[in-house]
Amino acid sequence: MKWILTPILLALLYAVVGAQQPPAAPAAPPPTPKAAAPIDLTGYWVSVVTEDWRWRMIVPPKGDYTSVPLNAEGRRVADTWDPAQAATNGCKPFGAATIMRVPGRLHVTWDSDNVLKIETDAGQQTRLLRFDPRPEPGRGTTGSGSSQKPAGDHTWQGASIAEWENVGGRGGGAGGRGAAAPPRDGSLKVVTTNMRPGYFRRNGVPYSETAVMTEYFDRHTAYGTDWFTVTTSVDDPKYLTQPFITSTHFKKEADGSRWNPTPCE
Amino acid sequence: MRHFTIVAGVLLVTTLVARPARAQIDLTGEWAGRPHEDALARGAGPEIGDYTGLPLNEAGRLKAESWEAGILSTRERQCIPHVVTYAMRGPANLRMWKETEPLTGQVLAYRIYGTYGRPRTIWLDGRPHPSEYAPHTWAGFSTGTWEGNKLTVTTTHIKTGWIQRNGAATSDLATMIEHFIRHGDTMTVVSIVNDPVYLSEPFIRTSSWSLALNQQLNSFGACGPAGDEVAVPRGYVSHHLPGTNDQVNAFLKAHSVPAEGAAGGADTTYPEYLKRIQQPDTPRPAVVLSPNQPVRRQPTPAGDIEALKVQDNIYLLAGAGGNIVAQVGEDGVLVVDSGNAQASDKVIAAIKRLSDKPIHYVMNTSADPDHRGGNESLAKAGSRIGTQMVAAALAGEGAAILAHEKVLNAMSAPTGKQAAAPTGAWPTDTYFTDVRNIHFNGEAVQMLHQPAAHSDGDSIVFFRRSDVIATGELFDLTSYPVIDPEHGGTFTGLLDAVNRIVDLAIPKDWEEGGTMIVPGHGRLADQADIVEYRDMLTIVRDRIQDLIKKDRTLEQVKAARPSLDYDGRYGPSDTFIEAAYRDLSRRQ
Repeated sequence: MKWILTPILLALLYAVVGAQQPPAAPAAPPPTPKAAAPIDLTGYWVSVVTEDWRWRMIVPPKGDYTSVPLNAEGRRVADTWDPAQAATNGCKPFGAATIMRVPGRLHVTWDSDNVLKIETDAGQQTRLLRFDPRPEPGRGTTGSGSSQKPAGDHTWQGASIAEWENVGGRGGGAGGRGAAAPPRDGSLKVVTTNMRPGYFRRNGVPYSETAVMTEYFDRHTAYGTDWFTVTTSVDDPKYLTQPFITSTHFKKEADGSRWNPTPCE
Repeated sequence: MRHFTIVAGVLLVTTLVARPARAQIDLTGEWAGRPHEDALARGAGPEIGDYTGLPLNEAGRLKAESWEAGILSTRERQCIPHVVTYAMRGPANLRMWKETEPLTGQVLAYRIYGTYGRPRTIWLDGRPHPSEYAPHTWAGFSTGTWEGNKLTVTTTHIKTGWIQRNGAATSDLATMIEHFIRHGDTMTVVSIVNDPVYLSEPFIRTSSWSLALNQQLNSFGACGPAGDEVAVPRGYVSHHLPGTNDQVNAFLKAHSVPAEGAAGGADTTYPEYLKRIQQPDTPRPAVVLSPNQPVRRQPTPAGDIEALKVQDNIYLLAGAGGNIVAQVGEDGVLVVDSGNAQASDKVIAAIKRLSDKPIHYVMNTSADPDHRGGNESLAKAGSRIGTQMVAAALAGEGAAILAHEKVLNAMSAPTGKQAAAPTGAWPTDTYFTDVRNIHFNGEAVQMLHQPAAHSDGDSIVFFRRSDVIATGELFDLTSYPVIDPEHGGTFTGLLDAVNRIVDLAIPKDWEEGGTMIVPGHGRLADQADIVEYRDMLTIVRDRIQDLIKKDRTLEQVKAARPSLDYDGRYGPSDTFIEAAYRDLSRRQ
C-alpha cells in the first residue's frame, strides 16, 4: 500500500506548495487601460477589400442583400430603399455597425488613459471606445460628423464599452522558471449600443436602433506585414434572423500620408 | 501488482502536476460556418469573370480567364477536393479535435475535418516541414504555434489549386499563414495566401464560424479514380483561348461592375481605387507584353545528396543534377539515371547509406549529361549479374547500364569521331523495341520507350509493384520541358509521353497519392501534378496552334506570350516556344 500512498502524498505536496503565493505586497493602483494594453492598435490602418468587394466598393443594386441574414421585416425595409435618393443617405452607411466595412483608413489613438479613439477618413467618423463606462467630465462629444454622446442618446457611432480580453503571454514554446517574460498578447472587446438606425450597405440594408454590436480586435503578422482583424457580430432581432457576423482586416501603414478625409454628408 | 501500483502512481502525479498550456484557447468542437461575406461565391459559386477583390497579377488574370468549367469533367479531375488555400472559405462546417500524447497529455496536433477538402492535421509538436522534394498534397503540410490566444499555422507543400472556384488559381509554390482566433462561441480564421506566381501581394481573407453543439458532419467517404466512361477524349483539356471568354463580359453586363475592378488586382482592393471606379469606362487591363517574371525553380542543393523515400523500397536521390531513383532490396541496387559526373562520389556514398548491397543496374532515361554523367563511376562501383551467357561472361565487370539504343547512339560516335561520353559510360545493354523488362528485387521493372519526345531515346521506368514511375526529362517540375530537336525530340511526342504517364498513374484516393512519379528535376509528384503539367502543355500548344493558323511568325508568337500564365512557375519560355512552334508548324 505504501507504493501507492507515496506518490499520492508527493503529488499533493507539490500541488499545495505550488498553489501557495508569496505574501501580498502593498496594493498598487491598477494600471490604466492604456498602460495595460496587451496589444498596440494605435497608428494608421487601411482596409484591404478582398471580401464582399461588390457590396463594399460599389453601391449594390436595390434588393441585393446577399450574405446578410435579414428577416422578412429587414427585407421589406431594404426593398423600400430608393436608388434615386442614394445621395441623401447621409451618414446612414457610416454608422458603427458598418463603418469598419467601409473602404478607407483608420487613425487609432489614445484619447485619454481610458478611451481609445478610432477616426475614419471615409465619412469622417469618430468612435470612442471607453474602458471605463463612466462618462468623463466634459467629454460627451467629439469629432466632426460623429456624435459620441453619453448613453441614452442614439448616435451614429453609439456608445462603446471596451475591455481587454484573453490577456496573456505570447508563444507556446519553451518557458518555465527563469525564462524572460513573454511579450503580452490579448484582444480588445468592444460592445456598442445606442446606435442610430443605419445601413449595413449603401443600398439600404438596415440595422435598427436596438442593434447591439460586439467586436473583437486582434493583431497579427504574416509575410512581414502587420494587420488587425475585427470580428463583428451585430445582434438585431428587429431586422435579422441571427447575428450578422463579419470579420474585417486592416493593414498597418507607416504614416498618415494617405489619409483622405471625406464627409458622409 | 507492484508494477501496476507504480504506474498508477506515476499517472496520478502526472495528472496532479499538469498545468494548462499558457494562454491557449481550446479550438475543439463542431463549428458551423457563418458565410456572411461573399455568400454567393462560397455557396452556389462565383460567376466566371468575377475576380473582384483578388490580388491577381497578369499571369493570374490570364490563367483565370482561360479557365473553363468543363475541365472539371475530365477523368483525372472527378475526385479533386478543395485545396487548402480555398477549403476553409467554402460554406464549410468543421469538426476540430486534438491529438494528444497518451502518457503526458501533450497536444501533438489539431485535426480539422470538413470543408469539402481533405482532412487537415496541424502539427504542434515542433516537427519541421518536409523536404522541398517531398510531394505536395491538397491539404498541404501544416505546423502551428501559439501566439498568445491565437493559433498561428503555416502551411506548405500545397498542390496547384485555387483561391476561388472560377479559375482564380494558386500555384504549387504558394504557402499560407493562418491565425485561428476564438472569442466565446465564435471562431475567426485569418488566412493569408502568398503565391509568387499568380498573386501580386499576399491575399488575406477572414472567415467565421459559430460553435454548434448539435452539429453532426456527414462523412465525405472515399472517391476513387473515375472510369473511362467519362465522355471526354483522352488528353483533352478544356479552356478558353485568350480574349475569347465571353462569360467574362457577360458578368460585367449582368452586374454593372467596372471591367477593371472585375479583373481583380491588388490596387483595386485599396480605397484609392474608389476614385477610379467613378470612371466607368476604365478598360479591363491587358494581360500581355510584360517582361518575363523571375524564374521560380526549386534550387538544387549544391552540397550533399538528399535521399527521400518515395514508397516501398524506392528512393529519390536529389542534388546530383537530374533526379536519381534507387531501388534497393535483397538482390542489390538498381538506379535510374546517374546524375552529373562530378556528383558521383556523393551519389555512391548516399546509395551505400541505403544499402550495403552492390549496384547491379544503371538505367538511363536519356543521354543527357545530367542523367548519365555518373554512369561510369556508378557502374564501376557495382557488379553485373545475369543468367544470360553474355551477362555471365561479363560478370564482375561492373553494373550493367541499360538504355534505349538511341541513347547509345547519342553517347557514342563512329571510329575516329569524338564521342559525347567516355566509353565506360556507354550503355552495355540496349533495347530497340517498345519495352525492356527485367525482374529485380521481387518486382517487375519496365523501361518504356517514348519515341520523339524530349529526344528519340527517352525511357519511362515503371516499378510495377512499388507503383513508382521515373520520367527522366519527360516531366520537369522546375522548368518547361527541354525538347532536343537535334536528337529527334518533338513537342508533340513529348506531350504524348506526358499523356502516357498520366494514363499509367492511378491515384489512391481523392486524386492524390497512389502511383508516385519522380520527375527528371524537382519534387516528387503524383497524377494530379502531372495532369497540371499536361494541361499546361496542351493549353500552350492550343494557343500557339491558333497563332500559327493566323499566320503569325515565330517572333510574333513569342511576342504574344502564349505561356504568360506559366512563366512565373517554369521560367524562361523562348526555347520551349520555339521548339513547339517549329514542330506544330510542320504538322499544320
